[in-house]
Amino acid sequence: MSFRSTTTLLSRATRIKSKLQSSLEATVLELDDVSYQHAGHAAMKESSENETHFNLKIVSDKFEGQSLVKRHRMVYDLLSDELQSGLHALSIVAKTPKEITPDAK
Amino acid sequence: MATILFKGIAARSLTARLTSSCYYGMRYSTKVSNDPDTHDDFKPASKLENSGTSLSDIVEQDVKDNPVMLYMKGVPDFPQCGFSSLAVKVLKQYDVPLSARNILEDPELKNAVKAFSHWPTFPQVFIKGEFIGGSDIVLNMHQTGELKEKLKDIVPKQ
Repeated sequence: MSFRSTTTLLSRATRIKSKLQSSLEATVLELDDVSYQHAGHAAMKESSENETHFNLKIVSDKFEGQSLVKRHRMVYDLLSDELQSGLHALSIVAKTPKEITPDAK
Repeated sequence: MATILFKGIAARSLTARLTSSCYYGMRYSTKVSNDPDTHDDFKPASKLENSGTSLSDIVEQDVKDNPVMLYMKGVPDFPQCGFSSLAVKVLKQYDVPLSARNILEDPELKNAVKAFSHWPTFPQVFIKGEFIGGSDIVLNMHQTGELKEKLKDIVPKQ
């Protein structure tokens, strides 16, 4: 379970961020590589890839009026290339700016 | 061997086929490398070609027959991924029958489920035939009370 840094020229994290940022005009975009937490799990045992699991927090106006499933689909659609090239899982928190104001839950 | 299915699943639909012939023998040796997209060469030979039932039919039948249907990595009593584990934990808060298939055991089924729901990751939860989402969504619906609402008319498990 050693932590593998993501120092490749253009990391997956960088690509993910730029894709989401440009299409969804995110006001908050936090992406954590948590691949190390999954390095030993069943599906990953024989995989040498890193950058497979991320936690994503994204806030965008474009989520307004969309169900959670729709929001997740919007993210997945933008990342379909990544999902086909070794990205295994994203934990997604997708909110609208209104939903993250202190009063709203 | 029965662990491929969890309580309540319609055993007739897949158990027999999935555990047939060469696949049966290979299950343990290939369990790990079976996974994703990287080991297509080692996929078990198709076991459905002659059965007249396609995998997408099976998925369709699954979600129709099982009020709460879960496609996951591992089995409910032994999930093999944190997200699958989370989905199971949430759903077990409710007194409803839970049916599940282990997609690590069959890459073809995995692809069929992905194609069926147009959703790229696992776990995937279906309630009363409706695609609900993955673990983040199920957890969120649990927290907001939506999940309770969705599950309320499902007959409790025996």
